[in-house]
Amino acid sequence: MTKKTRKFRDISNFNLQQNENEYYLLPFKFHRLNNDKEIIVNEVGDYLTLPNGTVEKIIKREINKIKDTDLYGDLISNFFISEEVISPLIDVLATRYRTKKLFLNYFTGLHIFVISLRCEHTCHYCQVSRVTQNKDLYDMSLLNIDKGIDIMFKSPNPHITMEFQGGEALLAFDNIKYAVEKAEKIAQEKGKILSKVICTNLALINEDILEYCKEHDILISTSLDGPKFIHDKNRNKPNASSYDLAINGINLSREKLGFENVSALMTTTKLSLDYPTEIVDEYFNLGFKGIFIRNISPYGFALRSDKSKYETEKFLDFYKKALHRVLDYNFKGHFFTEDLARIFLSKILTPFNVGFVDLQSPAGLINGVIVFNYDGSVYATDESRMLAEQKDYTFKLGTLDDDYDDLFFGEKSQEITEIWANEGLNGCSECAFQQYCGADPVHNYATQGNMYGHRPTSDFCQKNMEIIRYLLELMENNEDIKKIFQGWVKVRS
Amino acid sequence: MYKKNEIIDGEVIVYADSKLYSKDSLFKCMYWYGGKFHTNISMYDKSTYRISIKPVNDIEYNSEKLKQLLFQLERDLIDFNLRDIVTKETQNLRDLLVAKAFSNGEFDENPPGEISDPIGFIP
Repeated sequence: MTKKTRKFRDISNFNLQQNENEYYLLPFKFHRLNNDKEIIVNEVGDYLTLPNGTVEKIIKREINKIKDTDLYGDLISNFFISEEVISPLIDVLATRYRTKKLFLNYFTGLHIFVISLRCEHTCHYCQVSRVTQNKDLYDMSLLNIDKGIDIMFKSPNPHITMEFQGGEALLAFDNIKYAVEKAEKIAQEKGKILSKVICTNLALINEDILEYCKEHDILISTSLDGPKFIHDKNRNKPNASSYDLAINGINLSREKLGFENVSALMTTTKLSLDYPTEIVDEYFNLGFKGIFIRNISPYGFALRSDKSKYETEKFLDFYKKALHRVLDYNFKGHFFTEDLARIFLSKILTPFNVGFVDLQSPAGLINGVIVFNYDGSVYATDESRMLAEQKDYTFKLGTLDDDYDDLFFGEKSQEITEIWANEGLNGCSECAFQQYCGADPVHNYATQGNMYGHRPTSDFCQKNMEIIRYLLELMENNEDIKKIFQGWVKVRS
Repeated sequence: MYKKNEIIDGEVIVYADSKLYSKDSLFKCMYWYGGKFHTNISMYDKSTYRISIKPVNDIEYNSEKLKQLLFQLERDLIDFNLRDIVTKETQNLRDLLVAKAFSNGEFDENPPGEISDPIGFIP
């Protein structure tokens, strides 16, 4: 008797005679990419683009193993169909599914400390209300910092990120120093990896602060909306140019901390919409390795100001122009990325997910991020505390005096978790882009009045679906762009 | 009973055989029209659904645009019916897949075949 092995077998071992309906469907979803092509996506995000009408043939069992050898092979090998009721490789598929949801393994990593609500800027789109006086009322107290750190280290996540936000965080730099030193000591005792980030407009940065940041491995994250005429218009600083201060700060920070330890984020305002090329050029010329094209968040002053409001379609048009400008640099041989595309592409082209809290399912709030506000309140996300500044406390989980379990697993958290997975939401449940997208109950609430949301009128849905569709279409139509995109998601050491 | 799809007074009406189209697929399809259209699903007769949509802002819809809308609705109804077939046919597998993915190995099975040991690692 020949011993059975798992080596590749000779073709004579395989049954090539197949009746029309002799295969079984595996779970997949489909979407029309354009007038000619449709895309099928399986449960782990693998996709195939096919001529229109192919899905109907697959479902009607009209794909023949002999006549449609290539397609049949692709469908089998990419887990869209199986020759047995339960695919013998279901455990492989399950492992890949688990890998896609790996972010659930570690629970909350990002802990935002709103160290002060005070700010010396008066940006028209600012997501938080700004106050400039009364340090005692608008700075986080040392007692609350202690409580926040205590809760932070109860997270089972071995890698904790402590992010200081404002207002302008550097207005309370002494409190940051206190928090950093205390957290570092506890991290060492508990054997946790601790990352620290200060989000700042850089107006107050100086050599002493940067020396401290260097000594304590603190990263700097700043805002840069584009060239001077855009940045200064968006980010008003009385009697000074916010742009000049930001550029000087970026240069000084890079000099002291190193290029890679200083990042910048832009926000798209109505003014920005006419200048996609100039904004991308600004980031490239400043030596950044990428740009994150972000639409404005529908919170705080952004909703009240006509200078900020625009339609999603206009943003998408702006986004595509900016993306092509980014691609132009890549065609010239530079590595320069658009980071929203990069997040989607990582989900589309790799077996992994991305730790980006706005695009996760289950949503990134609570299990990815938590916010400790200056006044001791605890919120599910950064956006939740911005709603609170408008006196809407829907996403307030409790206060720093509450127990860890009550905050993270209490009634409010449970209410949110009922609608935080796009797999179970109307409109998302059968969407082909489900695995690439996420659920955002806070955004739904802020823009549509309820956490569940209504996908046909959701700007979140409209934006993400079109960007994902567009990225897939670009890759389908242009092999060079596909290679560039593949380069963006390769792990770089 | 067969009834031809039609456009009457700015309302696009599609008739669907209930033996071919699932009720779930009709509602899932209509959901996406709810943002810009008044939608309605009813029974035309015992075995035929009557699905209708009417633009909320009908000034934007001339007769040509309404014809395109009819074409799009017909296509979307088929798409959602196909999606519904896949969903229902693969529901158990999907449940099994998620259960296995989040299990601690209790649902794992050994892969078929035997692992050969040509080098002799197994003592």
